[in-house]
Amino acid sequence: MNLKINPTVLLVTILSLGILLTFTRSVWLNLAMIIGASLYLVFNRPAFKKILLIGLFVLPLAFGTWWSFIVYGTGDTWHNAWIFSTRIYAYVWLGIALTFTNSVDELLFSLVQNIRLSATFAYGILAAFNLLNKIRRQVKIIRYAGQVRGITYHFWQPQLYFKAIIVALTWSGDLAEAMTSHGFSEGFSRSHYQTIPLPLWQWLIPIGVLALSLSFLVICQPW
Amino acid sequence: MQTVKQNKGRWTLRQVIFLAIIAIFFGIIYEVWSFAYYALAATPLKAVANDATLGVWLMAGPVAGVLLKRAGATTLGELLAATVEMLLFSSWGVSTLISGFIQGFASELGFAFTGYKNWRRLGLTLSVITSTIITFAYDLFASGYSQYSLSLLATLLIVRFLSIAFFAGILVYWIELLVEKSGLLK
Repeated sequence: MNLKINPTVLLVTILSLGILLTFTRSVWLNLAMIIGASLYLVFNRPAFKKILLIGLFVLPLAFGTWWSFIVYGTGDTWHNAWIFSTRIYAYVWLGIALTFTNSVDELLFSLVQNIRLSATFAYGILAAFNLLNKIRRQVKIIRYAGQVRGITYHFWQPQLYFKAIIVALTWSGDLAEAMTSHGFSEGFSRSHYQTIPLPLWQWLIPIGVLALSLSFLVICQPW
Repeated sequence: MQTVKQNKGRWTLRQVIFLAIIAIFFGIIYEVWSFAYYALAATPLKAVANDATLGVWLMAGPVAGVLLKRAGATTLGELLAATVEMLLFSSWGVSTLISGFIQGFASELGFAFTGYKNWRRLGLTLSVITSTIITFAYDLFASGYSQYSLSLLATLLIVRFLSIAFFAGILVYWIELLVEKSGLLK
């Protein structure tokens, strides 16, 4: 079964739930978020291995948080320890419910078509994203080039960043020029090869989920 | 023929790409840095690790600000860096977006206090102060800092201030000086 929510709606849902989590304190609410996000993920055939890896990756952070509240906390330390360690998982699970079910393109195009994000921003970000591997390689090149001359660049020195900025300046100029010469027009409306539908009823999803979570908090006053 | 609209108020394609590339660069440089954070973060010292490394995560905003010298650049630079982080290195999930926005806004406030006129020592100093206060207030809720003992809280605040002052203040200032000396942004 494939039950896909429009990426913009999903983003709004997840952001509002994230903000709700920030200002409330409940282990059960955190767990409910994790379960809800997991269910949504299962319906959208995710890469289980990657999810498992992320779960392991976050474990030390959650554990460190848990332990620090036991050691340095005040008040109900056990409760706090569980709240803030499960909250880390809740944040991450909400995040991957979005990023594992949508590509960067889908999300950006949806923002452009559904809530009128400026095309300049969407395509500008996309252009930079497509350079990801090149940028990764460039960081290595900068470091190797330094080492050839017997210089090691550390991240607490400005040189590494300065060189990255020079590259960003050159590449952004070239890319913008290339895009303009291929017909990208800033500030003009454009047509879309792929349209991303946003049925109005889907806006009920963030409202419903938020209302449900709030009433769960108020009525059940979960631990 | 429709080409590029001439309007000074808007963000140009080049500026957006520039910001995004910088954000990715910072994201990749952070990756290396995050191993140190991880080693500490698995112990009760996680909160200290958090605050000691926070300055590094805050750099993208002020760097974007001092390079582009325009209102909104700081917030947007940080938000972009946070988006990149969430999409590429997603170990903080959705909180990255929220905290990225808050961090960017907090750093921006310092420059806004100078009326977006001073992007050098004064602007950066104010930006360090506003971002320390606002991000700390955010963590009182988001990371449960309000439940820590007072002595730990005081330590955390000082550690956070030093971290932000060095990375998002002094280091950014050095970068700005290098860029200015090179005359690249003329």
